Order: sequence, then C-alpha cells, then structure tokens
Amino acid sequence: MTASHRDGRGAASAIGTGPGRALIAVYGLFSLAAGARAAVQIATRFGEAPLAYSLSAFAALVYILLTVALWRGARRLALVALGIELAGVLVIGTASLLDPAAFPDETVWSVYGRGYLFIPLVLPLVGLYWLLRRRR
Amino acid sequence: MNTVVSTIVIVGALLLALASLIVAIRNRPMGMVLLVGFALLEVAVLVQLGFVIVAVAGGQGPDDKATLWGYLAGEVVIPPAGVFLALAERSRWGSAILVVAGFAIAVMTGRLLQIWQGVA
Repeated sequence: MTASHRDGRGAASAIGTGPGRALIAVYGLFSLAAGARAAVQIATRFGEAPLAYSLSAFAALVYILLTVALWRGARRLALVALGIELAGVLVIGTASLLDPAAFPDETVWSVYGRGYLFIPLVLPLVGLYWLLRRRR
Repeated sequence: MNTVVSTIVIVGALLLALASLIVAIRNRPMGMVLLVGFALLEVAVLVQLGFVIVAVAGGQGPDDKATLWGYLAGEVVIPPAGVFLALAERSRWGSAILVVAGFAIAVMTGRLLQIWQGVA
C-alpha cells in the first residue's frame, strides 16, 4: 500500500511517509538529544558558555521544527528549515574549529557534529535529497 | 547503579537493531518478534531506571544529576515512540525506524554508564 494518497491531500503530503517516516524518527531523536542537552546546559550552567548553549538551543529548535514540518507534510517549511540546518552545521562546525575557545562545551553542531557520528552533517543532505527528489 | 542490567540493555538493544536491519533489508514491515523484542527492551530500560533511582536515593551517583535523568527519560520514551512509528509505517521503513531506536538506546546506555562513573 502506498500511503501517499490515503489522506486525500495527494503527493504534497507524502514527504512524511515511507523513507520520510524514517527521517521523522531520526529528526525526532535529534530533537530529543539536542533539546534535552540544551535544557540541561541552560538550566545548570548557562553562564559558563552562553554562546555554545544558545546555539545548542537553536539547533534543538531547528530539529523540532523539521520533525513537525515533515510530520505535517509542510514541504516549504521543511526546505527552509533544512537550509538553516545545513548552514548551521557548516557555520558552527567551521567556527568551532577556528575558535575552540568560544565553544568550551560541545554543541550538537560542534566540529560538524563529531559527537554524533557526523550525522548532523549528513542529515540535512539526506533531507534535501528526499524533498527535492519527490518534487519531480 | 547495576551495570549488569545496563549491559543487558546495551546487548539487547544492539541485537534488536541488527534484527530490525535484517528485516528492513528483506523488505518486510515490523513483525511480532520485533514488537515483543522492543516491549522487553522497554521493560529492561524501566528496570534499569529503578536501579538508578534506588542507587541515587542511597547517595550514590555523579554530581550532574540533570544529565543522568535526561538520558534515562529519553531511553524510556524511545522504544514506545519507535514502535508507534513502525506501526504507522507498515513497510521496510518502519523496520528501519527500529534500527535507529535500538542503536540510540545502546549508545545512550553506554553514555549513561560513562556519566555514572564520572568519565563524561
């Protein structure tokens, strides 16, 4: 059974089924990981590294946004969030290499997501491939 | 903290991830074996949580309790969430979701042991 037409909204909502549902699972997991990490960091020791912890929270928000966008089939929102995610991991990854002192504690995007098997770097590329492939 | 239970959780989660991967490669949706397997994993995770609560109540554990509880809460949520998504996605991708869930539990339990021993 293909789930793409089940809810009557047609292919536009199909980004959240099949491989897309696996993508939702991974983004949900990263929402949990980044969100919990940011919450702990900000609640217990925000003063130590305000920049790194704010970026942790920002990354968590992007992941939550993407989970919801994929879930609800909001393609344009998902594309925008994927662009922010890709830019974020590249900018923060590079910045954390150039100026390690500004990142005394890890964020999800530090050194291109090294602490998370570099999945944060690969994930937006997979997501963009998935969304743009479906558009044709 | 009981490292035997945590070892069982890690080994069990890795075996379930491997089984889910085989099911996904064979192009099958989640079956009864995986469903029961993840239910047992959830039981093991809850038992582990019980041991941690008892140990912390007894004055043991790391200074950074917030991270500890964060990991434990995440572990409790992941198996039901993975099964819920796998039930909604009755294809090989539902099984693929369980690969992610099992692997995540194994990694998080490893981190949990490190946090408990104060390594990280």
